Amino acid sequence: MAEHSILVVEDEHTLRRLLEYRLSKLYDVRTAANGEEALEQIAENIPDLIISDIMMPKMDGFALQSAVQSQHETKAIPFIFLTAKADEQSRLKGMRTGVDDYITKPFDIEQLLIRVQRLLERTKMFQTQLDAKIGQDFSQRLMPKSLPQVPNYSVFFHNNPREHGGGDLFDWMEAAPGTYFLTIGDVMGKGLQAKFYAFSFLGYVRSTIHAMLRTTQSPAEIMTRVNHVLMDDPPMQETFASLLLVRWEPEAHRLTYANAGHCRPLLITPDGPEIVEYSDMILGLDRNAEFKDTEVELPADSALIAYTDGLTEQVLQSGQIAGEQGIVDASMRAYGRDAPIDAMLDDVLNRSEEDEFGDDILVLWLQREPLEIDWFSPFAADVK
Amino acid sequence: MSFTVEPCNQETVIVRIGKALDFRNAAEFKSTCQTQVRSGARNFILDFSETGILDSTGLGSIFSLYRQVSPLEGQVVFAAVSRPVQVVVQLTRTYKVFRQFPSVEAAEEALL
Repeated sequence: MAEHSILVVEDEHTLRRLLEYRLSKLYDVRTAANGEEALEQIAENIPDLIISDIMMPKMDGFALQSAVQSQHETKAIPFIFLTAKADEQSRLKGMRTGVDDYITKPFDIEQLLIRVQRLLERTKMFQTQLDAKIGQDFSQRLMPKSLPQVPNYSVFFHNNPREHGGGDLFDWMEAAPGTYFLTIGDVMGKGLQAKFYAFSFLGYVRSTIHAMLRTTQSPAEIMTRVNHVLMDDPPMQETFASLLLVRWEPEAHRLTYANAGHCRPLLITPDGPEIVEYSDMILGLDRNAEFKDTEVELPADSALIAYTDGLTEQVLQSGQIAGEQGIVDASMRAYGRDAPIDAMLDDVLNRSEEDEFGDDILVLWLQREPLEIDWFSPFAADVK
Repeated sequence: MSFTVEPCNQETVIVRIGKALDFRNAAEFKSTCQTQVRSGARNFILDFSETGILDSTGLGSIFSLYRQVSPLEGQVVFAAVSRPVQVVVQLTRTYKVFRQFPSVEAAEEALL
């Protein structure tokens, strides 16, 4: 599979074969002998570029070009006219129709190849820039602008979306005074499409939480509902997501979570690290999947660390991926530092094969302070 | 790289996954399976014996296949699951949906 496909429209057999032969070394080439055949080919498979003769039986190049121009899906395909009509009039008519290039026969095939390559590169550059712009916009919308501010706790968060990354998302809301819901998820897939799905999915999750809070505060019940939405709602049918839904009650130092196939969080207490093990199936796969609430107590001087798989899948110098154990080790070494997430990420990077992360990175670090600070103490620590 | 498909019978095929199923070839895996479903395949045995990489995009393409064949009473089963694949399956808790067999032969025996 070549990266680009080209449609060659030329009624003269020999030239058609020659173009096909030369171009197919670099591209997927389809051919047509006239405009009508070309339109049939385009209906079947939209090419990345069209090279067309002008004088052809049944339907000439001008007619083909205006047909392509009139269709929304094909309007933007780069179009090159290739013609024996060296006269000025045809050339001008060709240019007036808004073609991207115009080559008269006899032509130098190397010249043609260079022009084709240049046109494709330009189109791709536009696409890439547009994708990056939209992707960035989505990435920003998939993350909150602020963090909960709660006495006796520090909440740290780090997110580094990559253009080719996937659909990581994080959100939080104060469901009732003193009760927070934290949402961390990952929509499967890569690039802009995944970010778009993640954006829609986050909308579903938020509205489901809001709608259900009137009757329940159970993450598992909300999770079940979100899973049904993914299973039953046609626009979401190709969406699979892992999701960690946590109800956090800081005053009781209690976390209640449901986990749908997401990376298992890590709990660091004065007794050492442990993996918060219980989890259920990923969302969007099985309508009958069941979800369970699990409670976790947060003792003084302990932290809950939740993240996405960009972290565990980072390749280390050993050639192995960091994995759960790698994250446990790095977090233990970072524990107690002022900026624990930065320290943890640096630790992982120092052991990595590359000097940057290969995928989106998202980490939430929920730290309960070692000593309960009196509410009215003048020495109260700043809660970030 | 492309995926080798071996028919067992009218409704059952073996797909050899090869070294990796990830964001680079997930689309190809999808279209390979789609062609098989169109020509009547319902049950898929995925051979992971050589697979070192299965990322979430790759897993997503397997999920799509499962959602396609499950309304047709079809199954997707995993054969000769390697360690890296095992980790992903464990994490996503999908072993409840995809039955696992030690070898392709064992999977064939169970399905045919």
